Amino acid sequence: MLPLLLRRLSLRHARLAPGQTALLVLILALGVAVFTAVRLANRAAVSSFTHFTDTLTGTSDWIIQAPAGRLPEAVLPELRAALADLAVQIHPVIESTGSEPAPTASPAEADAGAGANADAPPRFGRRTYTLLGVDLVAIANLAAQQTAADPFFRDGGGGGFFDLFGPEPLVWLSPAYAPTPPGHLDLIVNDRPVRLRVAGLIPRATDGPAAPVGLVVLDLPRLQRLVGREGQIDRVEFVLEPGHALEARRAEVSRRLTRLALAAPSASSASAHHPPSITHLPSSDPQPSSAPRWLVSTPGGRRDTAETMTEAFRLNLTVLSLIALLVGLYLVFQALDGAVVRRRAEIAILRSLGVDARVIRFAWLAEAAVLGLAGGALGLLLGWAGAQVAVRAVGQTVNALYYATSVQAAQLAWPEAALGLAAGVVASVLAGWAPARAAAETPPAQVLVRGAPGAIGGRWLRSWPLALGAIALGVALTRLPPLDLGGGTRFPLGGHLAAFCGILGGGVLAALAIPALGRALRPLAARGASWRVAIGHLLRPTGRHRLAAAALVCAIGMAAGMAILVASFERSVRGWVQSALQADLYLSSAGAQSATADNRLAPATWRALAAHPAVAKASIFSAYPLTLDGKPTTLGGGDLADQSGRDGFLWVGPPPPAEALDPARNAGLALVSESFSQRFRIQRGDTLTVPTPAGPRTLRVAALFADYGNERGTVLVDRTHTTRWFDDDHATSISLDLLPGAVAETVRADLLAAHPGVSIFTNSSLRAEVLRIFRQTFSITYALQIIGLAVAVVGLALSLVSVLLDRRDELTTLRALGFRRSEIARATAIEGGVLALCATAVGLALSFGLGWVLIHVINKQSFGWTLAFSAPAAQLAALAVLVIGTGFGVSYLVGRWGAALPADREE
Amino acid sequence: MKYQPPLHFLLSVFCAFCAFCGQPLRASEIPLRTPDGFAVPQPGPAFTFPRDHGSHPDYKIEWWYLTGHLFTADKPTPRRFGFQATFFRSAAPLATAAHPAPAAFGHDQIHLAHMALVDVATGRFLHQERLNRAGWDAAASTTTLDVRNGDWSLRFIDAASEKMQLVGGIRADARFTFTLTPAKPLVRFGEAGYSRKGAAPTAASYYLTFPRLALAGALTLDGVELPVTGQAWMDHEYSSSQLDKNQVGWDWLSAQLHDGRELMFYALRAADGTLDPASTLTWIARDGTLARAPFLWQPLTTWKSPHTGAIYPQRIRLTTTDPESRAEVVFIIEPFHPDQELAGKLGGVTYWEGACRLLAADGAELGSAYLELTGYDRALTVLR
Repeated sequence: MLPLLLRRLSLRHARLAPGQTALLVLILALGVAVFTAVRLANRAAVSSFTHFTDTLTGTSDWIIQAPAGRLPEAVLPELRAALADLAVQIHPVIESTGSEPAPTASPAEADAGAGANADAPPRFGRRTYTLLGVDLVAIANLAAQQTAADPFFRDGGGGGFFDLFGPEPLVWLSPAYAPTPPGHLDLIVNDRPVRLRVAGLIPRATDGPAAPVGLVVLDLPRLQRLVGREGQIDRVEFVLEPGHALEARRAEVSRRLTRLALAAPSASSASAHHPPSITHLPSSDPQPSSAPRWLVSTPGGRRDTAETMTEAFRLNLTVLSLIALLVGLYLVFQALDGAVVRRRAEIAILRSLGVDARVIRFAWLAEAAVLGLAGGALGLLLGWAGAQVAVRAVGQTVNALYYATSVQAAQLAWPEAALGLAAGVVASVLAGWAPARAAAETPPAQVLVRGAPGAIGGRWLRSWPLALGAIALGVALTRLPPLDLGGGTRFPLGGHLAAFCGILGGGVLAALAIPALGRALRPLAARGASWRVAIGHLLRPTGRHRLAAAALVCAIGMAAGMAILVASFERSVRGWVQSALQADLYLSSAGAQSATADNRLAPATWRALAAHPAVAKASIFSAYPLTLDGKPTTLGGGDLADQSGRDGFLWVGPPPPAEALDPARNAGLALVSESFSQRFRIQRGDTLTVPTPAGPRTLRVAALFADYGNERGTVLVDRTHTTRWFDDDHATSISLDLLPGAVAETVRADLLAAHPGVSIFTNSSLRAEVLRIFRQTFSITYALQIIGLAVAVVGLALSLVSVLLDRRDELTTLRALGFRRSEIARATAIEGGVLALCATAVGLALSFGLGWVLIHVINKQSFGWTLAFSAPAAQLAALAVLVIGTGFGVSYLVGRWGAALPADREE
Repeated sequence: MKYQPPLHFLLSVFCAFCAFCGQPLRASEIPLRTPDGFAVPQPGPAFTFPRDHGSHPDYKIEWWYLTGHLFTADKPTPRRFGFQATFFRSAAPLATAAHPAPAAFGHDQIHLAHMALVDVATGRFLHQERLNRAGWDAAASTTTLDVRNGDWSLRFIDAASEKMQLVGGIRADARFTFTLTPAKPLVRFGEAGYSRKGAAPTAASYYLTFPRLALAGALTLDGVELPVTGQAWMDHEYSSSQLDKNQVGWDWLSAQLHDGRELMFYALRAADGTLDPASTLTWIARDGTLARAPFLWQPLTTWKSPHTGAIYPQRIRLTTTDPESRAEVVFIIEPFHPDQELAGKLGGVTYWEGACRLLAADGAELGSAYLELTGYDRALTVLR
């Protein structure tokens, strides 16, 4: 029975209205595509965070890393002694970054010296390479290397084993970078350009991931030297030998590492740097000090940290991407409901022939599911294509805010594909649920009541209590605290639910407003028959009208809300940039191209830069990555008095007391960024303890400042203190005030000629660059808005098609009364245009609420940035004109098409 | 073949067994340095101990090579094991090592180590190799015997009595700490420890051996600690020489007889299958006196390695003359187990090094031995 029913009922329907079916599938596909594209792009951006050592080691069992600063090499013999009986390999690692050099013009111009690249406007975002330093001799002991398909060393061609020890440092590149390696690699490392000889390609360890495209491997001591970190290592990785009691030994290694972290460095490692034999365990129980010297983690733990770091950002994008699908859901509901209404007679006949109501219901659901499946499948293809574009946008944001990623392409992953397909089917079946029930409930007698309006959606969409209740609930939900995802990441669930409630309430409100608008337009009825017909329909809107308006409200509300968020953000960033960027020139290592780049200026370099005769004053800033409560953040050292004196801070709340800015009195005081305050729940007056190589320091928060450049948060103290704590005089960036009369561009060209590895921005170029990066990070949200709007407008057209199909009798009557085709089209245009107008009005009103939720709840809870509310009037007006105009136009075309419909109904 | 340098270790093992060959050279013909700048062993060495038990980084190649037999205290039949513990040092080319390197990650010396253990009762054979640069995780003292590679080490615990401690293991499966005490004084092979290796003036090494060390300690196998005693043989040799072009490999034997004497034998196999004239058998008397003797080396059976496909001789008949009785004696060298092959990944060379029984022709057990067979996997042409 069912197959026959499906064939005769559903298939025939699809065959008879192929255009409508195709459009529905397309809309669903678009919704699924946006959702899938964003998820794929997110996935690619996250999976591009590689624990790079895995490429070489397979997977390490444990990793230790200093909570701040680096570990001295002296810990290595200490670790060997402590773990002597556990059959564990100990691999020290140093990691840094370098960037590709800025493109230079012709060699001739480069030779011309000064101003070779001074004229090119500087930009961030050049490719960042991860430089990984491991002991290339010792890693041969790893099982993963011994079974690797390719060797690190090949004799002949300068890549042989002992070439490793030659005078020239060698690098190995990822096969993804170039299948056949180039002869050398040019990089900017810290403050100078370097040319490194390429020895070969990085062999892939057994069970290890393929080397990511930006990975560059060097022998550990060579990288130490290259980045000026002799005697220091970033982390130590532990790989247990297989065999007896592996799990017990793994646990024991972790236990001893944790215990040893709390012990003072043992005398043996402190006095004799490299004792020839260490066969004893530390003799006495060492003195525990208050802070661990290192933190013990696993590669999986590091990946998880990277994932949670970007989780809020990715979740927000995913939710945004659901708008198109949500609008699509409205439309499928529309279309199926329309079909049920139009085919009532048919259903009634089937019922009177004794077909079971459940079978009919199932047939309709099956039709919805097939629609969803087709839309989902098409959506996957579109989504995969879209992801290739989206991945760059997502990658840029991740790069700017979180960690270096070089992701270029998104793979279609099965979980995402399944989810996309499921989203399509679920949305479709969900939308088809009520129409299917309505179909099943059609009484056999219905055959006599042709074309009676099916008031399915209409019932909800005429409910004032629902509209007001949803909005009230939404307002209440904004009070909810964020959901803690762990690792310092919080998800504003309440905010998202509030937005959803707002959209729902707004949609119902718009539906309710249609007859009111119709009444308001009554005076215009005198202008002609088309107006009268249109107003007549608007006074008694069907569920279909109401649904179309609601779908439009959803799309407009979100698009305009996002526009408000972006505008507010931009205004705040502008204000911050204006306040924070006061100096004439800003200098940093040209190697620092992403959030995690750790390229810095050597003391000699920044002193030379600051000593330029045109420089009136130099302000030095040093940043140190830090792990606090297991979350990555930054400790900054700067000249607070100087920066504050120039209004360089945008205080959130009251400014700090005077002593906080005086290096002689501000030991123990800190300024924290607003994001830091949010992430670590630290307020003004609270104390926090930061780990430093010189031991933990307890700091009291003197004030909060705005910093839109760093989502991870910053603790800022006077540089006099960080220089001492970290025993380090490198600069992350310096800003120069020039003497009156000096021309910034000229000084910049001067400095660049002497220091080609330094990136120099003038005040105006840095401001422009900050705003460019800012807009770039929002580029994907623009795309999502446009797609959502497009779907909604198409949806309006589709609704009107449904309406006209429902009204075939009326159209026939109108034609019989002498209505011309253009008059019918005009009537439809007015009907659709007014719907669009109504939806736009409600949508814009709603967008202010949504904008407020986005700014003060969703953004604040996810990222911790305070933004000043700013509505982009011109942009919103343009949006309104566009939607209303398109609404009129599309409706006119639908009307023309409808006017030509044959009178008999063959459906 | 991933790492080239360790080849040189085995290459020098090869050279070591040429210790007695060639004609006497006048001292004036012997250069002080090899063409690549390493020190050349000179005749009439004046060793100072314990310094010369330590490392000699001026020379290109050096090793401390221990083999031995272990017995548990189980009654009535103790469990028996054979072990090998070898520490190699190889100097990097002087030119590449000229620029400075940090102490923790040196690049002047490379340290390779091999450990192996065979359970005589079950035939279970464990082995592991380890490669490190001189630095925080591998080192060799230049003042006394103290070499280390990861958590493996060999050092004097009392230099005066030449009592040493060996700490080794094979991954997580076996771990051992042995105290080794000379039961017989140090032997200097060649001319008072200067051993010639071939016609080339630079072809020589310094060759010092403890032919019999009393061993006591603990072997932890699969987490179970077994107290053990036994005896071991230790070679210490250093040189800067290169391999002869005609050779494909060598067979080497150290045997400790129950009567208190030892014998050391090596045969250099030429490409045409003949034994090099430099192949030698040396008896060590109870008082440490050395005596060379004629020999006949006759492999009786072979074993094909399932790991590499190499075919190794197994039961070997060795016929020689007893320097005390002047009578001909026949020994049968019988490996406890055929599979004692070290298929090296780091060294790039596969060889067989195994614990054997030393039997008389009538099957009576006369002592224990360690047999080394190289160049059977493939000719060691890569060493030339």
